[in-house]
Amino acid sequence: MRPSRRWRAAAGYCYLAPAALLTLVFVYWPLVASTALSFYDWNLVSPTWSPVGWQNYVELVHNRAFWLALANTLRAAAALTVLTVLVPLLLAVIVLRVPRRWQDVYRVVLFSPTVISMAIACAVWLWMFHPLHGVLNTLLRFAGIAGPSWLSSSSSAIWAIIIVTVWKTFGFNFVLYIAGLLAIPGEMYEAARVDGASGGQLFRHITIPLLAPTTLFVFLTTFILSPQNLFVPTQILTQGGPNETSNNLGYLVYQLGFEYFRVGYASAAATLIFLVFLGLTAVQFYFAERRIHYGR
Amino acid sequence: MRPPMTRRLTALALAVLVAAVGATPAFAAEPITIEYWHINSPTFGGPAVKELVQTFEAKHPGIKIVEKFQPGVYTGLMQQLQVALAARRPPAVAQIGYNLTAYAAGQFPHVMLDKYRKSDPDFFKGIPDNIMALGVLGGSLHGIPFGVSTPVMYYNPDLFKAAGLNPDQPPQTWDELMRQGAIITQKTGKLAVYLQQPNDEWIDQTLIWGNGGRPLSEDGKHVGWDSPQAIEAMQMWQDMVTKTKIAANLTWEEGLQAFLSGHIAMCLTTIGRQDHMRKNASGFQVRAVPVPRFGQKPLATATGGNVLMIFATDPAQERAAWEWIKFVLSPEGATIWTRGTGYLPPRAELAADPKYLKPFFDEAPMMKAALQTFPYAKPWVSFPGSRGLEITKILIKAREEILEGKRPAEPILKEASQQASALLPK
Repeated sequence: MRPSRRWRAAAGYCYLAPAALLTLVFVYWPLVASTALSFYDWNLVSPTWSPVGWQNYVELVHNRAFWLALANTLRAAAALTVLTVLVPLLLAVIVLRVPRRWQDVYRVVLFSPTVISMAIACAVWLWMFHPLHGVLNTLLRFAGIAGPSWLSSSSSAIWAIIIVTVWKTFGFNFVLYIAGLLAIPGEMYEAARVDGASGGQLFRHITIPLLAPTTLFVFLTTFILSPQNLFVPTQILTQGGPNETSNNLGYLVYQLGFEYFRVGYASAAATLIFLVFLGLTAVQFYFAERRIHYGR
Repeated sequence: MRPPMTRRLTALALAVLVAAVGATPAFAAEPITIEYWHINSPTFGGPAVKELVQTFEAKHPGIKIVEKFQPGVYTGLMQQLQVALAARRPPAVAQIGYNLTAYAAGQFPHVMLDKYRKSDPDFFKGIPDNIMALGVLGGSLHGIPFGVSTPVMYYNPDLFKAAGLNPDQPPQTWDELMRQGAIITQKTGKLAVYLQQPNDEWIDQTLIWGNGGRPLSEDGKHVGWDSPQAIEAMQMWQDMVTKTKIAANLTWEEGLQAFLSGHIAMCLTTIGRQDHMRKNASGFQVRAVPVPRFGQKPLATATGGNVLMIFATDPAQERAAWEWIKFVLSPEGATIWTRGTGYLPPRAELAADPKYLKPFFDEAPMMKAALQTFPYAKPWVSFPGSRGLEITKILIKAREEILEGKRPAEPILKEASQQASALLPK
């Protein structure tokens, strides 16, 4: 006897259950718990949670560190999005033009930062950023430029973090672009060339539009993941300093929760961040869905 | 097949037997394992911790010590400790920096140690009262002072020579330092001085004490970073960085590295680093003297280091923890510890004892700088109340802003002190 529709549906839910359960326990439950916690004052050790109503939120919106961190996060997310979309795209186009036998070498070299642990990458960059004898400022001196005190200056610290993050993460997008470029049928270029299109026109009218789905994916993942990628370099390179100027929302939550042990306050910050990024992601999807053509 | 009754009886007999064996002293004699948390990385006393554990375990076969290094110095250890306490799995013993003792004593469940004064009077005999006071809060003993360190000024004699200065007469006051520093920078093109800038305000407190101020008012209600003495001292630091440009504004790792590689002539940091400095200075023989004084004012420095606090909740673990503390502070333990770090022994007489630390002090001339400073040691003030850790951070941020030089020290310190004082318990 063939199983009824209902049984087949039940089996489907059974297959789904492990993943759904894990997501519920490790993603949605903490979300609910942390939102609940944001209305309490608790130091992680004390047996009592004191309810404080909206006070954590009120204090947060009056805290200069919060607004600085929010501005920095948005700035860094924008910079990272531009850099980790443009740099890998250009590199992918260039690499596919070098002779075939050298392509693999370039791919390995350019992908290698992605597989290095972020902590180790930061330790290496720590010495490259050294204002007195680091590689960066030594090179700048050769060019006649006085390099900044990368990690101790309020204008450059956030850029130091962005540079490390781009260097560490662009390789993944680079591989995606290589795959995207290879998937564009060669006949399209040939047909266009026959019609007399120049190199620039080929890039503008064939490469860019046909890479759009890849670009959308790269763009979305970078924008959503980049605030998370900022955490480790911030922790190792600047601890948010000098004077909060390289702080970001993820690190701020860590500071409030695990440096000051104000867990309720940190949860309030986490909840606000969740809402901010939920909004941004919704806007992003709304616009992206209308502008991308998947049909080939 | 045996009847079921027999099987049930056999099972019962076995259960009784297991229970009986479990209750016999044979099981109780299993070694007790306790965790010891410390901040001693491989370049900062780590090997000495391992030696202490080995020596202790050889003497106490019934106790096993699991030593765990916690990164991020005292603040990092506190963070891990708070999480461990929340999970109800704290270490039996942990090092708590003097700057965090008030916070830990006020916020964390721990064992009060006054009872041991009665049961172990001999242990307390060799430790002077002013040192033991570092573990006393509100009249009760919360922790036993373990490492005691003072800031000193390390310097590179080669850069003094290169600038035409006498390396046997390094600066003793800040005025002298600024004069000689200007010469060093002018003649060698190197920076003259770096004052340590880790994630704490130890050297800031040293400057405030040194200029005759107080990090915290005596009634504990006001943070003293806005006193004229504090403002003057921090303004001096800013001027050296941004006006005369003889001092470096670098992160902690950068500053230490720049000094060790010969890019900076003088470096103010802890004597606890003397072993590391001696072994890692590249191309020069590092020397140390007490930190500079403010004119005619007497030397005064914040005392660094930590107390050992017991967090064990089980009585057997607590007893083992106390045995461990007694050992690491015994003449034998303190000798291993001081040799491996540069921390001063809480039992001062060991330094002159040929059986213990005299040979070490004889062959480590930099230790003299710490011994000369020791009589002038002031507390590293720990800010009380549940917001103490935030207060420290506010003061660190103020320092960062001052050293960038966009505003003078006074308004920055006034704002920071006001903000910090508001977080002190009323």
